[in-house]
Amino acid sequence: MKRESSFDEKRIIVGVYHLSKSFGRHFALHDINLQVANGEFVFLVGPSGAGKSTLLRMIYMDDFPTSGQVVVGQFVSTRMRRKTIPQLRRRIGIVFQDFRLLEDRTVFENIALAMKITGASMGEIKRQVTEILTRVGLYHKRYEYPNALSGGEQQRVAIARAVANRPSVLLADEPTGNLDPVVTRSILELLFKINAGGTAVLMATHDLDLVKSFGQRIIYLENGSIVRDKEMIFIGDLREKIEGSKVSEEARKLKEHGITDDEEE
Amino acid sequence: MKLNELRYIVAESISMIARRKLSTSVSVIIMGLSLLILLVFIIITLNISNFIDKATEELRVYVYLDNDLSDRDREALQFKILGMKWVEEVVFVSREEALEKFKKTLGENSDILEDLQSNPLPDAYRIRMKPQYIKSEVMERMAEQVGKLPGVEDVRYGKRWLRRGEKIIRGFYLADLFVGLIIFLSVVFVVSNTVRLTVFSREKTIDVMKLVGATNTYIRTPFVIEGALQSAAASLIAAVLAYILFVAASHYLKGIVFLDGSAIGVFVAFCALLGAGGSFFAMRRFLKA
Repeated sequence: MKRESSFDEKRIIVGVYHLSKSFGRHFALHDINLQVANGEFVFLVGPSGAGKSTLLRMIYMDDFPTSGQVVVGQFVSTRMRRKTIPQLRRRIGIVFQDFRLLEDRTVFENIALAMKITGASMGEIKRQVTEILTRVGLYHKRYEYPNALSGGEQQRVAIARAVANRPSVLLADEPTGNLDPVVTRSILELLFKINAGGTAVLMATHDLDLVKSFGQRIIYLENGSIVRDKEMIFIGDLREKIEGSKVSEEARKLKEHGITDDEEE
Repeated sequence: MKLNELRYIVAESISMIARRKLSTSVSVIIMGLSLLILLVFIIITLNISNFIDKATEELRVYVYLDNDLSDRDREALQFKILGMKWVEEVVFVSREEALEKFKKTLGENSDILEDLQSNPLPDAYRIRMKPQYIKSEVMERMAEQVGKLPGVEDVRYGKRWLRRGEKIIRGFYLADLFVGLIIFLSVVFVVSNTVRLTVFSREKTIDVMKLVGATNTYIRTPFVIEGALQSAAASLIAAVLAYILFVAASHYLKGIVFLDGSAIGVFVAFCALLGAGGSFFAMRRFLKA
């Protein structure tokens, strides 16, 4: 699959408009506006308690805004019915810090579950799961149970499950929160790879240092408000350089240059 | 729903039980034992009530006749009594027969009757009532009506005994109902809670399924099927255990009866429904959001 040039063709896959969310008197999110284009990669950065997870939950519609609305593809939060939520969930992939794999099922079954619920045929499921597992490099562990895997491997399985139905957007809530730096790096690379396949990625993290070097768009969230949202200059096809290796020093410099440019605006 | 989906749901139900053999068997045993209590109670009640029915059906009404009644008048009287809606059967007991029977009842002591010059006993009709009319009020009304008939000397049926018996029986049934209700409610509680725990212990599975976009039907059905199967299995275990107890008890208590097949069927079906319902309602709280 070829990556769409997301900045030319600005089709919005996730749109958040004047979203506020309060729990009782406490405002968790205040007047949030953001859009994620098809195929875009966005980091959502902010300290713990800034409202990142809450915002993501609004996007996968586990909860609904107090005011404002969320639009994901053709799904609009204000017009959502309980029955259509499963349809939305099949169009987005979700990954968490704690993996959320089912311990009583093998790697294969965990991923297959996401497809079974859509009524896909067994042949189709086998083909697709095999392909994804190969892509995340865990085909040889398909019959293992999650407990037998390392944290990084479990997160790979969780990501594989999230993309099994070829979603248009992948939401990741602190996907590297439980992982050491080396594994964190490899998970990020996997997410870039998936993004290169055309899936938009919105990843929440508290770790600015981790993500600022990649040159992706970063949205800063603090106390429930977006304090900065700069689209960084996109240099070449960065993902291809990252794929399987590290970001080149040159690209990094250029990106940092990009940030500076942005800030001068 | 697609055919594949249905297939996966059924497979999911089966594998759900298979994955948790231990906790499933523990739940089944807990439910089975509490259902056994209910079943034993039902069987005891059934047998006591059978016994009461039989005992009351034994009750006979004796109509003593005037000594100088002609055969024609006597027959006319018999027809009149037979014509009453409460009466099932009327048997004539001649005074000679009555004396014979009396002698037999006295047994060894029957020699005290030797001194009798003549038979002091009257002719009588022995009435067997239709079982549904064996009640104090009905009997009293009937005794009164029969007593007024020409040629009738006296009507006897153990009025005081019947009244007292009825009171005791009514008391028994009331107490039985009360105890039964408590047992029944505890069983409903145990079964629905055991099933609920099964559901709660898989909160994570439910969450993950919701996350990946499973419909509520897809998530719920395996749980409901599992709940139904677990409870049905528990009720079958209870039935088997109850039968073993029954066989053991029937060595000592002749003539006791066990529930018939259809009653067991209803019992199993009821338990399956209870389990399914318990699962269904336990799921509600996870599926709402």
